Amino acid sequence: MKWPGYAWALGATAACTLAGLALFPWLELVNIAMVYLLTVVLVALRGGRGPVVAASILSVAAYNFFFVPPRGTFHVDDPQYFVTFAMMLAVGLIVSWLTDTVRARARAQAELAIQAETERIRNALLASVSHDLRTPLAVIAGASSSLAEGGERMSADERRALAQSVFREAQEMSELVAKVLQMTRLESGLVLERDWCSLAEIAASVLRRLKPRLADHLVMLDLPDNLPLARVDGALIEQALANLLENAARHTPPRTLVRLRAYLEGGEIVVSVEDFGPGLPEGDLEHLFEKFRHGQRRGAGLGLAICRAIVHLHGGRIWAERLPGVGTAFRFSLPLETPPAVPAEALAK
Amino acid sequence: MTPTILLVEDEPQIRQFLRSSLGAEGYRVVESPNGRRGTLDAGMHKPDLAIVDLGLPDFDGVEVIRRIREWSPMPILVLSARIQERSKIEALDAGADDYVTKPFGVGELLARVRAALRHGARSSSGIELNLGPVRIDLEKRVASLDGAEVHLTPIEFRLLACLARHIGMVVTHRQLLTEVWGPTHAADTHYLRVYMKQLREKLETDPAQPKYLLTETGVGYRLVD
Repeated sequence: MKWPGYAWALGATAACTLAGLALFPWLELVNIAMVYLLTVVLVALRGGRGPVVAASILSVAAYNFFFVPPRGTFHVDDPQYFVTFAMMLAVGLIVSWLTDTVRARARAQAELAIQAETERIRNALLASVSHDLRTPLAVIAGASSSLAEGGERMSADERRALAQSVFREAQEMSELVAKVLQMTRLESGLVLERDWCSLAEIAASVLRRLKPRLADHLVMLDLPDNLPLARVDGALIEQALANLLENAARHTPPRTLVRLRAYLEGGEIVVSVEDFGPGLPEGDLEHLFEKFRHGQRRGAGLGLAICRAIVHLHGGRIWAERLPGVGTAFRFSLPLETPPAVPAEALAK
Repeated sequence: MTPTILLVEDEPQIRQFLRSSLGAEGYRVVESPNGRRGTLDAGMHKPDLAIVDLGLPDFDGVEVIRRIREWSPMPILVLSARIQERSKIEALDAGADDYVTKPFGVGELLARVRAALRHGARSSSGIELNLGPVRIDLEKRVASLDGAEVHLTPIEFRLLACLARHIGMVVTHRQLLTEVWGPTHAADTHYLRVYMKQLREKLETDPAQPKYLLTETGVGYRLVD
Protein backbone atom coordinates (compact mmCIF):
# COMPACT_ATOMS: atom_id res chain seq x y z
CA MET A 1 0.00 0.00 0.00
CA LYS A 2 1.41 3.37 -1.04
CA TRP A 3 -1.03 5.62 0.83
CA PRO A 4 0.98 5.88 4.08
CA GLY A 5 3.91 7.05 1.89
CA TYR A 6 1.84 9.85 0.36
CA ALA A 7 0.43 10.84 3.74
CA TRP A 8 4.02 11.04 4.98
CA ALA A 9 5.00 13.25 2.02
CA LEU A 10 2.08 15.60 2.69
CA GLY A 11 2.68 15.71 6.45
CA ALA A 12 6.42 16.28 6.10
CA THR A 13 5.94 19.13 3.63
CA ALA A 14 3.33 20.76 5.89
CA ALA A 15 5.63 20.45 8.92
CA CYS A 16 8.53 21.85 6.90
CA THR A 17 6.40 24.80 5.75
CA LEU A 18 5.42 25.59 9.37
CA ALA A 19 9.09 25.37 10.42
CA GLY A 20 10.09 27.57 7.46
CA LEU A 21 7.45 30.18 8.39
CA ALA A 22 8.71 30.19 11.98
CA LEU A 23 12.34 30.60 10.85
CA PHE A 24 11.54 33.01 8.00
CA PRO A 25 12.61 36.19 9.85
CA TRP A 26 16.12 34.77 10.43
CA LEU A 27 16.85 32.67 7.36
CA GLU A 28 17.87 33.50 3.80
CA LEU A 29 15.44 32.27 1.13
CA VAL A 30 18.01 29.84 -0.21
CA ASN A 31 18.40 28.22 3.23
CA ILE A 32 14.65 27.74 3.49
CA ALA A 33 14.95 25.89 0.19
CA MET A 34 17.56 23.70 1.96
CA VAL A 35 15.02 22.86 4.69
CA TYR A 36 12.62 21.70 1.95
CA LEU A 37 15.40 19.71 0.35
CA LEU A 38 16.04 17.99 3.69
CA THR A 39 12.33 17.12 3.85
CA VAL A 40 12.40 15.59 0.39
CA VAL A 41 15.48 13.54 1.32
CA LEU A 42 13.75 12.30 4.50
CA VAL A 43 10.68 11.24 2.49
CA ALA A 44 12.96 9.57 -0.07
CA LEU A 45 14.62 7.57 2.71
CA ARG A 46 11.27 5.96 3.51
CA GLY A 47 11.33 4.67 -0.06
CA GLY A 48 8.89 4.70 -2.96
CA ARG A 49 9.23 6.88 -6.02
CA GLY A 50 5.65 8.22 -5.99
CA PRO A 51 5.79 9.78 -2.52
CA VAL A 52 9.16 11.40 -3.39
CA VAL A 53 7.77 13.00 -6.53
CA ALA A 54 4.73 14.13 -4.53
CA ALA A 55 6.95 15.56 -1.79
CA SER A 56 9.10 17.40 -4.35
CA ILE A 57 6.09 18.94 -6.10
CA LEU A 58 4.40 19.85 -2.81
CA SER A 59 7.64 21.34 -1.47
CA VAL A 60 8.21 23.39 -4.60
CA ALA A 61 4.60 24.58 -4.59
CA ALA A 62 4.69 25.46 -0.87
CA TYR A 63 8.10 27.14 -1.19
CA ASN A 64 6.85 29.15 -4.11
CA PHE A 65 3.57 30.09 -2.47
CA PHE A 66 4.78 30.92 1.04
CA PHE A 67 8.30 32.21 0.53
CA VAL A 68 9.24 33.20 -3.04
CA PRO A 69 8.32 36.80 -3.82
CA PRO A 70 5.66 37.78 -4.68
CA ARG A 71 4.53 35.82 -1.57
CA GLY A 72 1.01 34.36 -1.45
CA THR A 73 0.95 33.58 -5.18
CA PHE A 74 2.24 30.79 -7.42
CA HIS A 75 3.75 33.42 -9.69
CA VAL A 76 7.56 33.26 -10.05
CA ASP A 77 9.60 36.39 -10.85
CA ASP A 78 13.08 34.97 -11.02
CA PRO A 79 13.70 32.01 -13.43
CA GLN A 80 16.55 30.97 -11.02
CA TYR A 81 13.86 29.27 -8.90
CA PHE A 82 13.09 26.78 -11.67
CA VAL A 83 16.62 25.47 -11.15
CA THR A 84 15.85 25.11 -7.41
CA PHE A 85 12.73 23.08 -8.30
CA ALA A 86 14.59 20.85 -10.69
CA MET A 87 17.38 20.23 -8.16
CA MET A 88 14.93 19.35 -5.42
CA LEU A 89 13.19 16.81 -7.66
CA ALA A 90 16.48 15.33 -8.87
CA VAL A 91 17.94 14.96 -5.36
CA GLY A 92 14.72 13.36 -4.14
CA LEU A 93 14.67 10.83 -7.00
CA ILE A 94 18.36 9.92 -6.60
CA VAL A 95 18.02 9.36 -2.84
CA SER A 96 14.87 7.27 -3.29
CA TRP A 97 16.60 5.16 -5.95
CA LEU A 98 19.61 4.59 -3.66
CA THR A 99 17.35 3.66 -0.76
CA ASP A 100 15.40 1.18 -2.89
CA THR A 101 18.63 -0.44 -4.12
CA VAL A 102 20.00 -0.88 -0.61
CA ARG A 103 16.68 -2.27 0.59
CA ALA A 104 16.47 -4.78 -2.26
CA ARG A 105 20.00 -5.97 -1.51
CA ALA A 106 19.19 -6.46 2.20
CA ARG A 107 16.04 -8.39 1.30
CA ALA A 108 17.97 -10.63 -1.09
CA GLN A 109 20.48 -11.34 1.66
CA ALA A 110 17.74 -12.25 4.16
CA GLU A 111 16.20 -14.59 1.58
CA LEU A 112 19.56 -16.23 1.05
CA ALA A 113 19.87 -16.82 4.79
CA ILE A 114 16.40 -18.43 4.90
CA GLN A 115 17.29 -20.54 1.89
CA ALA A 116 20.46 -21.71 3.59
CA GLU A 117 18.49 -22.73 6.70
CA THR A 118 15.87 -24.55 4.59
CA GLU A 119 18.71 -26.25 2.75
CA ARG A 120 20.30 -27.34 6.04
CA ILE A 121 17.03 -28.87 7.27
CA ARG A 122 16.43 -30.51 3.91
CA ASN A 123 19.90 -32.03 3.97
CA ALA A 124 19.35 -33.33 7.50
CA LEU A 125 16.03 -34.80 6.35
CA LEU A 126 17.61 -36.43 3.30
CA ALA A 127 20.51 -37.80 5.31
CA SER A 128 18.21 -39.16 7.97
CA VAL A 129 15.59 -40.55 5.62
CA SER A 130 18.04 -42.11 3.20
CA HIS A 131 19.95 -43.70 6.07
CA ASP A 132 16.73 -45.04 7.56
CA LEU A 133 15.46 -46.28 4.21
CA ARG A 134 18.63 -47.90 2.99
CA THR A 135 18.77 -50.62 5.63
CA PRO A 136 15.21 -51.90 5.13
CA LEU A 137 15.62 -51.61 1.35
CA ALA A 138 18.78 -53.71 1.49
CA VAL A 139 16.97 -56.36 3.51
CA ILE A 140 13.95 -56.33 1.19
CA ALA A 141 16.05 -56.56 -1.98
CA GLY A 142 18.23 -59.32 -0.52
CA ALA A 143 15.49 -61.42 1.02
CA SER A 144 13.04 -61.18 -1.88
CA SER A 145 15.69 -61.93 -4.53
CA SER A 146 16.84 -64.96 -2.50
CA LEU A 147 13.25 -66.17 -2.50
CA ALA A 148 12.74 -65.50 -6.21
CA GLU A 149 16.00 -67.07 -7.35
CA GLY A 150 16.57 -69.96 -4.97
CA GLY A 151 13.38 -70.29 -2.98
CA GLU A 152 12.63 -73.83 -4.09
CA ARG A 153 15.94 -75.08 -2.62
CA MET A 154 15.12 -73.68 0.84
CA SER A 155 13.16 -75.24 3.65
CA ALA A 156 9.65 -73.94 4.30
CA ASP A 157 10.89 -72.33 7.53
CA GLU A 158 13.69 -70.47 5.76
CA ARG A 159 11.31 -69.24 3.10
CA ARG A 160 8.84 -68.05 5.71
CA ALA A 161 11.58 -66.27 7.68
CA LEU A 162 12.75 -64.43 4.56
CA ALA A 163 9.23 -63.45 3.56
CA GLN A 164 8.53 -62.24 7.07
CA SER A 165 11.64 -60.08 7.10
CA VAL A 166 10.49 -58.46 3.82
CA PHE A 167 7.11 -57.72 5.40
CA ARG A 168 8.62 -56.38 8.64
CA GLU A 169 11.09 -54.09 6.89
CA ALA A 170 8.43 -52.83 4.48
CA GLN A 171 6.24 -51.94 7.44
CA GLU A 172 9.12 -50.13 9.08
CA MET A 173 9.72 -48.16 5.90
CA SER A 174 6.11 -47.26 5.42
CA GLU A 175 5.97 -45.98 8.99
CA LEU A 176 8.98 -43.80 8.38
CA VAL A 177 7.45 -42.40 5.20
CA ALA A 178 4.19 -41.77 7.06
CA LYS A 179 6.14 -39.88 9.74
CA VAL A 180 7.92 -37.68 7.21
CA LEU A 181 4.59 -36.90 5.53
CA GLN A 182 2.95 -36.22 8.88
CA MET A 183 5.74 -33.85 9.92
CA THR A 184 5.34 -31.98 6.63
CA ARG A 185 1.58 -31.73 7.11
CA LEU A 186 1.98 -30.51 10.69
CA GLU A 187 4.51 -27.88 9.64
CA SER A 188 2.45 -26.62 6.73
CA GLY A 189 -0.33 -25.66 9.12
CA LEU A 190 -2.74 -28.55 9.20
CA VAL A 191 -6.22 -27.75 10.48
CA LEU A 192 -7.17 -29.68 13.61
CA GLU A 193 -10.36 -31.73 13.47
CA ARG A 194 -11.37 -31.03 17.02
CA ASP A 195 -14.03 -33.06 18.72
CA TRP A 196 -14.97 -33.86 22.30
CA CYS A 197 -12.79 -36.89 22.94
CA SER A 198 -12.26 -39.25 25.83
CA LEU A 199 -8.59 -39.64 26.66
CA ALA A 200 -9.46 -42.96 28.28
CA GLU A 201 -10.78 -44.23 24.92
CA ILE A 202 -7.75 -42.91 23.08
CA ALA A 203 -5.42 -44.55 25.59
CA ALA A 204 -7.22 -47.90 25.30
CA SER A 205 -7.16 -47.69 21.51
CA VAL A 206 -3.45 -46.88 21.34
CA LEU A 207 -2.56 -49.69 23.75
CA ARG A 208 -4.55 -52.16 21.65
CA ARG A 209 -2.89 -50.94 18.45
CA LEU A 210 0.62 -51.09 19.92
CA LYS A 211 0.13 -54.39 21.71
CA PRO A 212 2.65 -56.33 19.58
CA ARG A 213 5.27 -53.64 19.99
CA LEU A 214 4.77 -53.26 23.72
CA ALA A 215 4.58 -57.00 24.31
CA ASP A 216 8.05 -57.12 25.91
CA HIS A 217 7.24 -54.35 28.36
CA LEU A 218 4.96 -54.17 31.37
CA VAL A 219 2.39 -51.52 30.57
CA MET A 220 0.24 -49.92 33.24
CA LEU A 221 -2.74 -47.71 32.51
CA ASP A 222 -3.53 -45.20 35.24
CA LEU A 223 -6.32 -42.74 34.43
CA PRO A 224 -8.71 -41.17 36.93
CA ASP A 225 -12.31 -42.26 36.40
CA ASN A 226 -13.60 -38.67 36.30
CA LEU A 227 -11.18 -37.38 33.66
CA PRO A 228 -13.12 -34.75 31.69
CA LEU A 229 -13.55 -34.93 27.91
CA ALA A 230 -11.00 -32.90 25.94
CA ARG A 231 -11.72 -30.96 22.76
CA VAL A 232 -8.88 -32.32 20.64
CA ASP A 233 -8.08 -33.92 17.31
CA GLY A 234 -8.39 -37.48 18.58
CA ALA A 235 -6.39 -39.12 15.79
CA LEU A 236 -3.45 -36.74 16.34
CA ILE A 237 -3.47 -37.11 20.11
CA GLU A 238 -3.53 -40.88 19.64
CA GLN A 239 -0.52 -40.54 17.39
CA ALA A 240 1.36 -38.40 19.92
CA LEU A 241 0.65 -41.01 22.60
CA ALA A 242 1.73 -43.82 20.29
CA ASN A 243 5.02 -42.07 19.54
CA LEU A 244 5.72 -41.53 23.25
CA LEU A 245 4.94 -45.15 24.09
CA GLU A 246 7.05 -46.46 21.19
CA ASN A 247 9.84 -44.19 22.29
CA ALA A 248 9.67 -45.61 25.82
CA ALA A 249 9.63 -49.18 24.51
CA ARG A 250 12.53 -48.49 22.17
CA HIS A 251 14.83 -46.92 24.74
CA THR A 252 14.30 -49.25 27.68
CA PRO A 253 15.21 -52.91 28.12
CA PRO A 254 12.49 -55.62 27.98
CA ARG A 255 10.41 -56.13 31.13
CA THR A 256 10.68 -52.42 31.99
CA LEU A 257 7.56 -50.92 33.52
CA VAL A 258 5.92 -48.25 31.35
CA ARG A 259 3.09 -46.28 32.88
CA LEU A 260 0.53 -44.24 30.93
CA ARG A 261 -1.00 -41.71 33.27
CA ALA A 262 -3.25 -38.65 33.09
CA TYR A 263 -4.18 -36.13 35.78
CA LEU A 264 -5.53 -32.63 36.25
CA GLU A 265 -3.09 -29.95 37.34
CA GLY A 266 -3.38 -26.17 37.33
CA GLY A 267 -6.34 -25.98 34.93
CA GLU A 268 -4.77 -28.40 32.45
CA ILE A 269 -4.99 -32.08 31.64
CA VAL A 270 -1.54 -33.62 31.86
CA VAL A 271 -0.83 -36.86 30.01
CA SER A 272 2.33 -38.63 31.07
CA VAL A 273 4.25 -41.61 29.70
CA GLU A 274 6.69 -42.77 32.34
CA ASP A 275 9.25 -45.49 32.09
CA PHE A 276 11.34 -46.99 34.83
CA GLY A 277 14.28 -47.67 32.52
CA PRO A 278 17.90 -46.52 32.72
CA GLY A 279 16.99 -42.84 32.31
CA LEU A 280 18.40 -40.17 30.02
CA PRO A 281 22.05 -39.17 29.87
CA GLU A 282 23.17 -35.80 31.25
CA GLY A 283 22.26 -32.78 29.19
CA ASP A 284 19.50 -30.52 28.03
CA LEU A 285 16.13 -32.26 27.74
CA GLU A 286 14.52 -29.71 25.43
CA HIS A 287 16.63 -30.73 22.43
CA LEU A 288 15.05 -34.21 22.51
CA PHE A 289 12.06 -32.72 20.72
CA GLU A 290 14.08 -31.26 17.85
CA LYS A 291 13.88 -32.81 14.41
CA PHE A 292 16.42 -35.47 13.41
CA ARG A 293 17.89 -35.67 16.86
CA HIS A 294 18.88 -39.27 16.48
CA GLY A 295 18.55 -41.76 19.26
CA GLN A 296 20.48 -45.01 19.20
CA ARG A 297 17.93 -46.69 16.94
CA ARG A 298 16.69 -45.72 13.52
CA GLY A 299 13.40 -43.98 13.13
CA ALA A 300 13.80 -42.06 16.36
CA GLY A 301 14.51 -38.75 14.65
CA LEU A 302 10.95 -37.62 14.05
CA GLY A 303 8.68 -39.20 16.65
CA LEU A 304 9.20 -36.66 19.42
CA ALA A 305 9.28 -33.72 16.99
CA ILE A 306 5.86 -34.85 15.72
CA CYS A 307 4.58 -35.06 19.31
CA ARG A 308 5.75 -31.54 19.97
CA ALA A 309 4.12 -30.18 16.81
CA ILE A 310 0.82 -31.93 17.66
CA VAL A 311 0.79 -30.68 21.26
CA HIS A 312 1.67 -27.12 20.25
CA LEU A 313 -1.14 -27.09 17.66
CA HIS A 314 -3.48 -27.92 20.54
CA GLY A 315 -2.15 -25.04 22.64
CA GLY A 316 -0.41 -27.37 25.09
CA ARG A 317 3.14 -27.87 26.37
CA ILE A 318 5.39 -30.90 26.13
CA TRP A 319 8.45 -31.68 28.20
CA ALA A 320 10.67 -34.45 29.50
CA GLU A 321 11.63 -35.04 33.11
CA ARG A 322 14.14 -37.28 34.83
CA LEU A 323 12.22 -39.25 37.42
CA PRO A 324 13.79 -39.27 40.88
CA GLY A 325 15.87 -42.39 41.26
CA VAL A 326 15.46 -44.01 37.89
CA GLY A 327 13.50 -43.53 34.68
CA THR A 328 12.09 -40.83 32.47
CA ALA A 329 8.74 -39.13 32.05
CA PHE A 330 7.51 -37.53 28.83
CA ARG A 331 4.55 -35.32 29.61
CA PHE A 332 2.24 -33.07 27.69
CA SER A 333 -0.55 -30.79 28.76
CA LEU A 334 -3.83 -29.94 27.07
CA PRO A 335 -6.00 -26.95 27.95
CA LEU A 336 -8.98 -27.90 30.09
CA GLU A 337 -12.37 -26.88 28.72
CA THR A 338 -15.86 -27.59 30.01
CA PRO A 339 -17.68 -29.99 27.72
CA PRO A 340 -21.31 -29.23 26.91
CA ALA A 341 -23.85 -31.05 29.07
CA VAL A 342 -25.42 -34.29 27.89
CA PRO A 343 -29.18 -34.11 28.47
CA ALA A 344 -30.60 -36.55 31.00
CA GLU A 345 -32.10 -39.53 29.30
CA ALA A 346 -35.74 -38.76 30.01
CA LEU A 347 -35.33 -35.53 28.01
CA ALA A 348 -33.66 -37.13 25.01
CA LYS A 349 -35.65 -38.23 21.98
CA MET B 1 -20.77 -72.12 -2.44
CA THR B 2 -17.59 -70.12 -3.01
CA PRO B 3 -18.10 -66.47 -2.16
CA THR B 4 -17.35 -64.05 -5.00
CA ILE B 5 -15.32 -60.95 -4.24
CA LEU B 6 -15.27 -57.91 -6.52
CA LEU B 7 -11.93 -56.15 -6.46
CA VAL B 8 -11.98 -52.56 -7.79
CA GLU B 9 -8.33 -51.50 -7.88
CA ASP B 10 -6.25 -49.78 -10.56
CA GLU B 11 -2.75 -50.91 -9.50
CA PRO B 12 -1.99 -54.20 -11.30
CA GLN B 13 0.63 -55.24 -8.71
CA ILE B 14 -1.83 -54.87 -5.87
CA ARG B 15 -4.49 -56.77 -7.83
CA GLN B 16 -1.91 -59.50 -8.45
CA PHE B 17 -1.11 -60.25 -4.83
CA LEU B 18 -4.73 -59.87 -3.75
CA ARG B 19 -5.79 -62.29 -6.50
CA SER B 20 -3.23 -64.84 -5.23
CA SER B 21 -4.03 -64.51 -1.57
CA LEU B 22 -7.83 -64.28 -1.93
CA GLY B 23 -7.72 -67.17 -4.41
CA ALA B 24 -5.64 -69.24 -1.97
CA GLU B 25 -8.39 -68.73 0.61
CA GLY B 26 -10.89 -70.19 -1.84
CA TYR B 27 -12.65 -67.00 -2.92
CA ARG B 28 -13.61 -66.32 -6.54
CA VAL B 29 -12.17 -62.93 -7.52
CA VAL B 30 -13.61 -60.56 -10.13
CA GLU B 31 -11.19 -57.73 -10.96
CA SER B 32 -12.09 -54.25 -12.19
CA PRO B 33 -9.36 -51.75 -13.03
CA ASN B 34 -11.51 -48.61 -12.67
CA GLY B 35 -14.67 -47.18 -11.18
CA ARG B 36 -16.88 -47.42 -14.25
CA ARG B 37 -16.00 -51.09 -14.80
CA GLY B 38 -16.36 -51.77 -11.07
CA THR B 39 -19.88 -50.35 -10.93
CA LEU B 40 -20.88 -52.49 -13.94
CA ASP B 41 -19.21 -55.65 -12.59
CA ALA B 42 -20.99 -55.20 -9.27
CA GLY B 43 -24.33 -55.41 -11.12
CA MET B 44 -23.26 -58.20 -13.45
CA HIS B 45 -21.50 -60.59 -11.06
CA LYS B 46 -23.58 -59.89 -7.94
CA PRO B 47 -20.54 -60.46 -5.66
CA ASP B 48 -20.84 -61.30 -1.97
CA LEU B 49 -18.35 -58.58 -1.09
CA ALA B 50 -16.73 -55.62 -2.82
CA ILE B 51 -13.21 -54.36 -2.09
CA VAL B 52 -12.91 -50.82 -3.42
CA ASP B 53 -9.76 -48.72 -3.69
CA LEU B 54 -10.48 -45.05 -2.98
CA GLY B 55 -7.95 -43.61 -5.44
CA LEU B 56 -9.26 -44.78 -8.82
CA PRO B 57 -8.25 -43.20 -12.14
CA ASP B 58 -11.69 -42.34 -13.50
CA PHE B 59 -13.81 -41.44 -10.51
CA ASP B 60 -13.48 -41.51 -6.76
CA GLY B 61 -13.99 -44.83 -4.99
CA VAL B 62 -16.58 -43.11 -2.79
CA GLU B 63 -18.70 -42.67 -5.93
CA VAL B 64 -18.46 -46.43 -6.65
CA ILE B 65 -19.67 -47.10 -3.11
CA ARG B 66 -22.61 -44.72 -3.54
CA ARG B 67 -23.65 -46.33 -6.81
CA ILE B 68 -23.47 -49.87 -5.39
CA ARG B 69 -25.41 -48.76 -2.29
CA GLU B 70 -28.24 -47.49 -4.49
CA TRP B 71 -29.29 -51.08 -5.12
CA SER B 72 -27.30 -53.49 -2.95
CA PRO B 73 -26.55 -54.04 0.75
CA MET B 74 -23.45 -56.15 -0.08
CA PRO B 75 -20.58 -55.57 2.37
CA ILE B 76 -18.03 -53.10 1.01
CA LEU B 77 -14.43 -52.91 2.19
CA VAL B 78 -12.39 -49.82 1.36
CA LEU B 79 -8.68 -49.79 0.55
CA SER B 80 -7.28 -46.38 1.31
CA ALA B 81 -3.77 -45.05 0.80
CA ARG B 82 -4.72 -41.80 2.44
CA ILE B 83 -3.67 -41.46 6.02
CA GLN B 84 -6.24 -38.79 6.81
CA GLU B 85 -9.21 -39.99 8.78
CA ARG B 86 -11.50 -37.75 6.78
CA SER B 87 -11.47 -39.81 3.56
CA LYS B 88 -12.17 -42.99 5.52
CA ILE B 89 -15.12 -41.33 7.21
CA GLU B 90 -16.43 -40.07 3.87
CA ALA B 91 -16.30 -43.60 2.44
CA LEU B 92 -17.94 -45.10 5.53
CA ASP B 93 -20.68 -42.49 5.55
CA ALA B 94 -21.27 -43.22 1.85
CA GLY B 95 -22.04 -46.82 2.80
CA ALA B 96 -18.73 -48.70 3.11
CA ASP B 97 -18.61 -51.12 6.04
CA ASP B 98 -14.93 -51.15 6.89
CA TYR B 99 -11.53 -50.02 5.69
CA VAL B 100 -7.95 -51.20 5.43
CA THR B 101 -5.20 -48.61 5.11
CA LYS B 102 -2.46 -49.17 2.54
CA PRO B 103 0.12 -50.55 3.02
CA PHE B 104 -1.48 -53.53 4.75
CA GLY B 105 -0.54 -57.10 5.50
CA VAL B 106 -2.66 -59.75 3.82
CA GLY B 107 -3.47 -61.22 7.24
CA GLU B 108 -5.20 -58.00 8.25
CA LEU B 109 -7.13 -57.82 4.99
CA LEU B 110 -8.28 -61.45 5.14
CA ALA B 111 -9.51 -60.96 8.71
CA ARG B 112 -11.56 -57.96 7.53
CA VAL B 113 -12.87 -59.92 4.53
CA ARG B 114 -14.01 -62.79 6.76
CA ALA B 115 -15.69 -60.39 9.21
CA ALA B 116 -17.41 -58.54 6.37
CA LEU B 117 -18.69 -61.75 4.75
CA ARG B 118 -20.03 -62.95 8.10
CA HIS B 119 -21.69 -59.59 8.57
CA GLY B 120 -23.26 -59.85 5.12
CA ALA B 121 -24.61 -63.32 5.90
CA ARG B 122 -25.82 -62.35 9.36
CA SER B 123 -27.66 -59.12 8.61
CA SER B 124 -30.51 -61.14 7.12
CA SER B 125 -30.86 -63.51 10.06
CA GLY B 126 -29.00 -62.66 13.26
CA ILE B 127 -30.97 -61.26 16.14
CA GLU B 128 -28.92 -62.80 18.91
CA LEU B 129 -25.31 -62.03 19.69
CA ASN B 130 -22.83 -63.69 21.99
CA LEU B 131 -19.84 -61.65 23.06
CA GLY B 132 -17.94 -63.81 25.52
CA PRO B 133 -20.01 -63.63 28.70
CA VAL B 134 -22.41 -61.09 27.15
CA ARG B 135 -25.59 -62.10 25.34
CA ILE B 136 -27.70 -59.62 23.46
CA ASP B 137 -31.16 -60.35 22.07
CA LEU B 138 -31.96 -57.57 19.64
CA GLU B 139 -35.59 -58.60 19.21
CA LYS B 140 -36.51 -59.01 22.86
CA ARG B 141 -34.28 -56.02 23.66
CA VAL B 142 -32.49 -57.70 26.54
CA ALA B 143 -28.81 -58.04 27.37
CA SER B 144 -27.26 -60.33 29.93
CA LEU B 145 -23.83 -60.79 31.46
CA ASP B 146 -22.97 -64.29 32.70
CA GLY B 147 -26.66 -65.18 32.56
CA ALA B 148 -27.80 -62.28 34.73
CA GLU B 149 -29.84 -59.60 33.01
CA VAL B 150 -28.07 -56.25 32.59
CA HIS B 151 -30.33 -53.27 32.78
CA LEU B 152 -29.73 -50.97 29.82
CA THR B 153 -31.48 -47.62 29.36
CA PRO B 154 -33.35 -47.17 26.05
CA ILE B 155 -30.55 -45.04 24.59
CA GLU B 156 -27.86 -47.48 25.71
CA PHE B 157 -29.79 -50.27 24.07
CA ARG B 158 -30.33 -48.37 20.82
CA LEU B 159 -26.60 -47.60 20.70
CA LEU B 160 -25.66 -51.21 21.35
CA ALA B 161 -28.20 -52.44 18.81
CA CYS B 162 -26.85 -50.09 16.16
CA LEU B 163 -23.31 -51.38 16.72
CA ALA B 164 -24.59 -54.96 16.84
CA ARG B 165 -26.30 -54.63 13.46
CA HIS B 166 -22.84 -53.85 12.05
CA ILE B 167 -20.96 -56.33 14.17
CA GLY B 168 -17.28 -56.51 13.31
CA MET B 169 -17.61 -53.38 11.16
CA VAL B 170 -16.87 -49.73 11.88
CA VAL B 171 -19.80 -47.42 12.52
CA THR B 172 -18.99 -43.72 12.24
CA HIS B 173 -19.84 -41.13 14.87
CA ARG B 174 -22.31 -39.54 12.46
CA GLN B 175 -24.09 -42.83 11.76
CA LEU B 176 -24.43 -43.65 15.45
CA LEU B 177 -25.55 -40.16 16.46
CA THR B 178 -28.07 -39.93 13.62
CA GLU B 179 -29.51 -43.34 14.33
CA VAL B 180 -29.67 -43.06 18.11
CA TRP B 181 -30.30 -39.35 18.77
CA GLY B 182 -31.55 -38.15 15.38
CA PRO B 183 -30.01 -36.03 12.60
CA THR B 184 -30.00 -32.80 14.64
CA HIS B 185 -27.40 -34.37 16.94
CA ALA B 186 -25.11 -35.69 14.18
CA ALA B 187 -22.15 -33.65 15.51
CA ASP B 188 -22.65 -34.16 19.26
CA THR B 189 -19.79 -36.62 19.75
CA HIS B 190 -19.74 -35.94 23.50
CA TYR B 191 -23.06 -37.87 23.76
CA LEU B 192 -21.28 -40.91 22.36
CA ARG B 193 -18.34 -40.60 24.75
CA VAL B 194 -20.66 -40.55 27.74
CA TYR B 195 -22.91 -43.40 26.64
CA MET B 196 -20.09 -45.64 25.37
CA LYS B 197 -18.48 -45.27 28.77
CA GLN B 198 -21.72 -46.34 30.45
CA LEU B 199 -22.11 -49.31 28.11
CA ARG B 200 -18.55 -50.47 28.76
CA GLU B 201 -19.03 -50.18 32.48
CA LYS B 202 -22.07 -52.44 32.23
CA LEU B 203 -20.77 -54.98 29.72
CA GLU B 204 -16.96 -55.10 29.77
CA THR B 205 -14.91 -56.98 32.35
CA ASP B 206 -12.21 -54.28 32.17
CA PRO B 207 -13.95 -51.09 30.93
CA ALA B 208 -10.58 -49.26 30.74
CA GLN B 209 -9.29 -51.76 28.17
CA PRO B 210 -12.44 -53.03 26.43
CA LYS B 211 -12.52 -56.27 24.46
CA TYR B 212 -15.81 -55.84 22.60
CA LEU B 213 -16.75 -52.17 22.41
CA LEU B 214 -13.72 -50.79 20.58
CA THR B 215 -12.85 -47.20 19.73
CA GLU B 216 -11.72 -46.29 16.22
CA THR B 217 -10.21 -42.95 17.18
CA GLY B 218 -11.34 -40.09 14.97
CA VAL B 219 -13.71 -42.37 13.02
CA GLY B 220 -16.24 -44.16 15.22
CA TYR B 221 -16.75 -47.41 17.10
CA ARG B 222 -16.68 -51.12 16.37
CA LEU B 223 -18.36 -53.96 18.21
CA VAL B 224 -16.41 -57.20 17.85
CA ASP B 225 -17.18 -60.71 19.02
